[in-house]
Amino acid sequence: MGGVRKTALMSQIWVVVRRVLREPLSARPLSELAYVLLAAPVTVLGVLYVVVSLAVGVALAVTAVGIPLISWAVPSTRGFAAFRRHRAAGLLGRRIPDPAPFRPPPGFLARVSAGLRDSIGWRAIGYLLLTLPLDALGLYVVAVTWARGLIALTYPLQFALGVNTSGFINGQVRQVVLVNGTVADTWPAVLLVSVVGVALLLAAPWVVRAFLRLDGLLMRRLLDGVGAAARIRDLERSRAYAIEDVAARLRRIERDLHDGVQARMVALTMNLTMLNETLGPDISPQSRNLLTAALDHAKDGIGELRHMVSGIHPPALDAGLETALGTLAARSPIPVDVRAELPERPTEAIETIAYFSVAELLTNVTKHSGADRATVELTEADGRLVLRVTDDGRGGADMEGAGTGLRGLTERVGTVDGRLAVDSPAGGPTVITIELPLHT
Amino acid sequence: MRIVIAEDSAILREGLAQLLAMRGHEVVAAVPEPVALLAAVAEHRPDVAVIDIRMPPSHTDEGLRAAIELRQADAKLGVLLFSQYVETRFVRELLAAGSSGVGYLLKERVADLDEFTSALERVASGGTALDPEVVTQLFGSRQDRGLATLTPREREVLALMAEGRTNSAIAKRLVVTDRAIEKHVANIFTKLGLSASDGDHRRVLSVLRYLDGR
Repeated sequence: MGGVRKTALMSQIWVVVRRVLREPLSARPLSELAYVLLAAPVTVLGVLYVVVSLAVGVALAVTAVGIPLISWAVPSTRGFAAFRRHRAAGLLGRRIPDPAPFRPPPGFLARVSAGLRDSIGWRAIGYLLLTLPLDALGLYVVAVTWARGLIALTYPLQFALGVNTSGFINGQVRQVVLVNGTVADTWPAVLLVSVVGVALLLAAPWVVRAFLRLDGLLMRRLLDGVGAAARIRDLERSRAYAIEDVAARLRRIERDLHDGVQARMVALTMNLTMLNETLGPDISPQSRNLLTAALDHAKDGIGELRHMVSGIHPPALDAGLETALGTLAARSPIPVDVRAELPERPTEAIETIAYFSVAELLTNVTKHSGADRATVELTEADGRLVLRVTDDGRGGADMEGAGTGLRGLTERVGTVDGRLAVDSPAGGPTVITIELPLHT
Repeated sequence: MRIVIAEDSAILREGLAQLLAMRGHEVVAAVPEPVALLAAVAEHRPDVAVIDIRMPPSHTDEGLRAAIELRQADAKLGVLLFSQYVETRFVRELLAAGSSGVGYLLKERVADLDEFTSALERVASGGTALDPEVVTQLFGSRQDRGLATLTPREREVLALMAEGRTNSAIAKRLVVTDRAIEKHVANIFTKLGLSASDGDHRRVLSVLRYLDGR
């Protein structure tokens, strides 16, 4: 029994020893070494870049150039972080997701403001500044393990070939090697140095790996604020899906009603009409009344259903936003001009939101503005749908205005990252602009 | 009348054919889609085509397109659009080439067969038949001073005129004399600044032009 346990222990030790002996010759320590050697100089460059651009920006802050310079420098620092992340992925297999790319809104001021508020850029700057001393430590670790170890292995060769000698010591010419300025002049001493070198090389992968743990900690903390960004991207995707799904579903319901219930109601009306025809004039007044009532109910039912459906999904939307808005404008009690210039059709959900927004705005115009006429303009700018409803009424509309529903409308267009702007000075005219993406 | 029906719903297609046959009209063809409609009209040369707006393939405005094409080929052919919805844009497109021999009715108008067949006859003989709902919408888009000066009775008469009805039909409907209607019509034309013209058809045209406001 004791013998078996002993053998098991021995074989375990052997596994560890073999692992330790083989490690310096495997591929992984070499990639880790390459990572440390590559990362450090890029960090130095990055810190220089950050310090110089921020310093110049701050120095010029009183001029028109300073702040824009900083706003440009902050997001551009992401490049250094990306380099680091990609090397970590390629060489260490440490995968940290990339953040969403920096997409500034159009317009100079908006771009400057977005640049200054780019948290991913600021995190990259923080990472560079903190990782500079850490990378210096990394280089030191490599120097005392890998470099020292390799050099120590060469001493016997140096001793044998007579290089690195100080031939004249204590008045005698002697064959020696200098190890850090210490004299070694016998084979046992020289070989001892080499043994220490081998030990250093065997330890090197583990020491470097320990250092990389620190590096990974810092990187996850600062360059993976990204976890949130990736989550946001996921949420945006699922929201777009949900919105489109609802739009498609409503449209399907409308079609099913049109081809199903509505068609059957019309067929019912036809049958009742035919019944009325075939019965002729000789039926009792009571029967005639019942038949007339049935016809009226069928007819009213069709009308009510039509009204309901137009609130679910206006059928005219299938023929395009312009057609649907034309019909909407025609229903308005005041004259409405519709001008549409859209090079491409937005997705279904966007068309639906645009349609119901205009419907609500036109209702506002009629109810509150006292306007004589209104204009609906539909254009595309910078890949976004721009909807503008103008009226010549008394103005003074604002977000807080009771009953105007502008706040609710802002929320609704917000579900697809749309924006609503109100320009309504007292005395008019009122211009309400809604901006929507063309696609969810 | 000789009639061609284009309607993609089988029950409505057959129902409509039966209904019209009951009043002694001859339905020479009843087809489910626009291509067959064009072929049927070319083959049978009917007096009027009753056309559903939403038909295959896309179920949006195929019927309207076919109607416009048919009218371009033969201006004498009456076309009646038959729909579950009023789309003013479609009405406008249909009327753009003239209001003679065209119509637009909601499907539930079959509930009153007398009204329905008389509208169809009007279209077949070069008149106009617009659904009251269409006229309401046209009125809605035209709340200007001219209309505001009309008396309620005059507005009623104007609406019936816009639907495409003749003076005597309007008189019968409102249970007044033809003479009374003529007086209302003259007043309406003066108030709206329209030149009174002879003939029911040209009168409808000028009323529609006015209501359309463009």
